[in-house]
Amino acid sequence: MTSLNDRIFGVLMIVLALAYGWGATQLPEPFGGSEAVGPETFPLLLAIGLGLSSLYLVVRPDPDNAWPWSRTGLELIIAVVVLIFYALLLQPLGFIISTTLAVGLLSWRMGAQPKVAFITGALAGVVVFLIFNFALDLALPLGLLDFLEVN
Amino acid sequence: METLGFLMDGFAVALQPENLMFALLGAFLGTLIGALPGLGPANGVAILIPLAFTLGLRPETALIMLTAVYAGAMYGGRISSILLNIPGDEPAMMTCLDGYPMARKGKAAEALAISAVASFMGSLIATIGLILLAPILARFALTFGPAEYFALFLLAFATLGGITGKNPMKTVVAACIGLMIATVGIDNTGVQRFTFGALELYEGVDFIIAIVGLFAISELLFFIEDKAGGGKEKMQVNKLKLSFADLRAIMPSCFRGGFLGFIAGVLPGAGASLGSFIGYTLEKKMVGKKGYFGEGDPRGVAGPEAGNNGASSGALVPMLTLGVPGSGTTAVLLALLISMNITPGPLMFTQNADIVWGVIAALLIGNFLLLVLNIPLVGIFVKLLSVPPRYLLPIVTMIAFVGIYSISNTTFDLYFMVAFGVAGYIFRKLEIPLVPIILGLLLGPEMEKNLRHALDLADGDWSVLWESGLAIGLWVFAGLGLILPYILGPLLRRRMGKAMEEGPTAD
Repeated sequence: MTSLNDRIFGVLMIVLALAYGWGATQLPEPFGGSEAVGPETFPLLLAIGLGLSSLYLVVRPDPDNAWPWSRTGLELIIAVVVLIFYALLLQPLGFIISTTLAVGLLSWRMGAQPKVAFITGALAGVVVFLIFNFALDLALPLGLLDFLEVN
Repeated sequence: METLGFLMDGFAVALQPENLMFALLGAFLGTLIGALPGLGPANGVAILIPLAFTLGLRPETALIMLTAVYAGAMYGGRISSILLNIPGDEPAMMTCLDGYPMARKGKAAEALAISAVASFMGSLIATIGLILLAPILARFALTFGPAEYFALFLLAFATLGGITGKNPMKTVVAACIGLMIATVGIDNTGVQRFTFGALELYEGVDFIIAIVGLFAISELLFFIEDKAGGGKEKMQVNKLKLSFADLRAIMPSCFRGGFLGFIAGVLPGAGASLGSFIGYTLEKKMVGKKGYFGEGDPRGVAGPEAGNNGASSGALVPMLTLGVPGSGTTAVLLALLISMNITPGPLMFTQNADIVWGVIAALLIGNFLLLVLNIPLVGIFVKLLSVPPRYLLPIVTMIAFVGIYSISNTTFDLYFMVAFGVAGYIFRKLEIPLVPIILGLLLGPEMEKNLRHALDLADGDWSVLWESGLAIGLWVFAGLGLILPYILGPLLRRRMGKAMEEGPTAD
């Protein structure tokens, strides 16, 4: 068992603490002159706190948890990409279509039958859309389906 | 007697039809959330916060609903413990020890009913404790100055990992990260900090987005990694045969568990897991050789369940009176308060008395509703439990998306949420706890404000932070909170581990 995770994370956090602390010293003086606690005081304390605690992680790391490489890792990346595209396409495609695609893809990748997965997605999309638009009076984007709009 | 009057006013708030309806909805959703493995109470409450916003609920209604969710989640946690030997959340772990053997002996319905009654008793005792203790603590907290508050916040962070926590240094790292995120935006003096010129960051990072991302999205990723999409075996629940004598037999266990749980919940650093653990070990000691613990003794179900629920109600005491939550879920409830523009802390008892007492009354009513819901409806929850996560989690994720989207109607927030989700996954892999990050986000502005006030009053003299006796006491406890886990932690963890091994998991 190695302890590389904590060490790498610790080093990254020390870098962050330094960058953040340096950034704090560059903050402009507030209007009306400096005060006992300026905008940089609290951030500097935090930078010191993070730096010291991260240093501890580098010196005395815990044993690693295994990262999922290969297949599972790929599945995780797919899931994140699906979520990003869900956000990206929510407005252009509209809520129902993008939800069908996103929920369907995710359930399918988690092991459901493709057909069942996409039907679940479509059902969930339509039900939530109806609840939000009619019961809660909150307009979710219709996107491509906006010819269905009833006003 | 003043308290009683306030409590009556609270009941008047909580018993309004609308509030009662949302309490019922919350209790139902909460039980469901608690029952589903992996979807813990903090996570569940976080996902429901955007819902409370989009529904346009009044603050007291929103808080009542989410308090009911909170109470319900504690009830739900036991269902999968008893039926599947899989705790729905960490505090429900001890319920497995005798609950699962009972189910295997064909007494699943009895075990569920006993645990529901024990949960009710535990919550009831702790809520009474809350009613008695909270006003006193709130009055005491009024004497706190800014320096004391600053020390109190440090204490909250230091003890958040709990005595059984693994690596307190990681709590410190997490707290610093959270506080750093909180400094993004325009500060009190009007200076822009760490916004990199991005307009979306001027008002800072919305903690609701961070919470939902960190909990909900990272949970989805963990389920994918564990390939746990398949769900579990079918479960059968027998017909309930519970006599009055059976109930009377567990009552002492309920009282002991509830009382100890309440104390564990109020004290910083203990929490519900320790509450149920103490509840169980005490039962074992008290009953001694006469019991058959680990083989399905009803008292082994009642003790930890009462302790667990007692602790969760007890944890509301520091959150309501000091504005300093002692657990993940109460931190999420605090997030709700702050985003409803209610300043938590002692002043809430005078300025927003209707809300505080409404919530406390809702806790009592919610527990009663839960008891009524749980015994007859347990079959429905068991059915819902067999919906495989492969359908459930994508839908939960989608609801999180809609909720966040409907707060501001921008997709920028959604990217932010996904980014927090990925970060949450990495943090959890590294065993960096998420709750201090959230607490940092929530308390950051207050903490800085109190530091500023304290130093302004003392003309920049830093020693003001540890001048009063009270402040010194808080500093000492904060220090202990960081050091004790190194000394006591391994010991307690070993004992909890041993208790688990002696239990049904061994066979």
